Amino acid sequence: MNDIRARLTTCFATVFPALEPAKIPSATQKTVAAWDSVAAITLLNVIEEEFNTQVDFEALADLDSFDAIAAYLNDRVAAENQGA
Amino acid sequence: MMTLTEALRQIKRAPVDSQPFRAVLACGFTPLHLSTFLAAHLQRRLPSRAVDVICGLYGDLAGTLRKSAGKNPSAVAVALEWADLDPRLGYRNLGGWGPAEQDDIVRQVKARLGSLRRAIEEVAAAVPVVIAFPTLPLPPVFHTGSWQAGSAQARLNALVQELAAEFSAHASISIVSAQRLDLVSPAGERYDLQSDLFTGFPYKRAHASALGEALANLIAPPPPKKGLVTDLDDTLWSGIVGEVGPQGVHWDLENHAQIHGLYQQTLRALADEGVLIAIASKNDAATVERALARPDMILSPEKIFPVEVHWHAKSGSVARILKAWNIGAGDVVFVDDSPLELAEVEQAFPGIHCLRFRPGDYASAEAFLTGLRDLFARKRISGEDTLRRESLRSASEFQSQIAQNDASQEFLRELNGSIAVNTDAAEDPRSLELVNKTNQFNLNGQRFDPVEWRSLAASPDAFVWSVAYQDKFGSLGKIAVLAGKVRERKVFLESWVMSCRAFARGIENHCLALLYERTGAGEIVFCFRATDRNGPLQDFLSRLLGRAPEPAARLERREFEQRDLPLYHKIQWSQS
Repeated sequence: MNDIRARLTTCFATVFPALEPAKIPSATQKTVAAWDSVAAITLLNVIEEEFNTQVDFEALADLDSFDAIAAYLNDRVAAENQGA
Repeated sequence: MMTLTEALRQIKRAPVDSQPFRAVLACGFTPLHLSTFLAAHLQRRLPSRAVDVICGLYGDLAGTLRKSAGKNPSAVAVALEWADLDPRLGYRNLGGWGPAEQDDIVRQVKARLGSLRRAIEEVAAAVPVVIAFPTLPLPPVFHTGSWQAGSAQARLNALVQELAAEFSAHASISIVSAQRLDLVSPAGERYDLQSDLFTGFPYKRAHASALGEALANLIAPPPPKKGLVTDLDDTLWSGIVGEVGPQGVHWDLENHAQIHGLYQQTLRALADEGVLIAIASKNDAATVERALARPDMILSPEKIFPVEVHWHAKSGSVARILKAWNIGAGDVVFVDDSPLELAEVEQAFPGIHCLRFRPGDYASAEAFLTGLRDLFARKRISGEDTLRRESLRSASEFQSQIAQNDASQEFLRELNGSIAVNTDAAEDPRSLELVNKTNQFNLNGQRFDPVEWRSLAASPDAFVWSVAYQDKFGSLGKIAVLAGKVRERKVFLESWVMSCRAFARGIENHCLALLYERTGAGEIVFCFRATDRNGPLQDFLSRLLGRAPEPAARLERREFEQRDLPLYHKIQWSQS
């Protein structure tokens, strides 16, 4: 989980360069002004590249905070490990 | 292929407080990652500028084009897709697919292309425009199977091709090569239906990256190389001429040496376009001379200058060739079949572009020839390009004469030099080209994009002169540009460049004399800035002013005339 959060932090820093690193773990769509619909898709695609995975567009609406995305990725990794 | 993450990081590298480079992206779909990739590829090409890509509203391609002028861009990129020409040719619209719509769709596309043509031509009158015609496959609209090009599909393609052909001849419009795009982004892997339906962005990321790069290549093309130095044995021809003799080397199909013939053919084409071609070979000079004199040589000897054939190191040959051409190693490609020779030259000239010729490797030959062409690619060929080789030859002859005669006034007078000044040279592409590529005799090193150049020239008190020169050694073509403004009997000289081929003839003195005379100015203000490479200009100004030049250095006409500098040339004035 720690590794996922660290890599996710890098994704946030890439998409939101103005966001202070310390504020990334608590970032939500409400607290980050730059997190609009375009940024949400960009973030999702950068996460796909970083984690070499596909994120479903249908899940986009629920992925509205750093914690929510970290949890989503954690579930994905766990599911993939089980499948393997 | 650049990833989205890499693109975002590239954009962040834009230098703070640098001159902006603004491009408008006009497309009918959500620009999303295409704007990101376009910005990233432009930023990579223009590292000293801060790239800003401005997009229009969703679905309003025509409106974005119409409003683009107000954004004061340096370029406009148009990414056209079938759905922009008729919404029924996309997946986000349920307007109907089938026989009843077929003819109406073709009519609609024709009408829409007509209005787009007018809008794009209007924009291109002021700003360079680059266009990608539809890159996505047509949806299954028509009754034919996907394996058949039915009548409607063929007519739609013909309409688009017709407009592309027309635009490709336009001076300010460039078209993305569909052939190249097909190679780097396979057609079946471009469309993303889910992304199109959920976000309005129709491309997979890899295709957006490829298209962004293609558009950026047209907006800010890589500077073309100027010269090529080639080896002979197993490169320009097949065989070792010292072993098999001049008649034993080949470059034809019959002798399975066609790759060498194709290489010669490419070099001949490059030479005809003004690229400098030289030879560096470890060989016996007399044997090589007889081989080069063979009438069936595709690259004839008069297209080659200089020829360095001896048994010494090739780095020494390259050094002499660069001196004769008076260009830097970074502008040159070196081709040899020997990895050892390539390494030796690369070590001596780290900036040179080394290419290995692989005689028996048919698999890589096509890419080699295409890559070679790309290194020298330019949008158009000017008269000066084709003059360059002869001009360098005559400059070389001039330099050897001047070394013998110590540049005496008598010698310079006997050159019978003449100067042709065009006082309306802003629109001549050669003027901007000279300003942007000249380093040594350059007043301040300032570069301009076409829009900035036009803006400088548009001021009512502005002047843009080009200067062509010829003497008994031949024509040097257009060799200097002077641009600036005349205000209250003062010339503010903002840009002044002169080709190094024209040094030592007193042309620079005459240019200033003409500037005083033609404008009636009592003073010239030089908008000077020292650069790493404009030493020759600094030396000239130091001699002229009697002190080291400073920014906004001034020279009164009275002082200039007191210098009583000899002016050798006949003058011819013109306006293009």
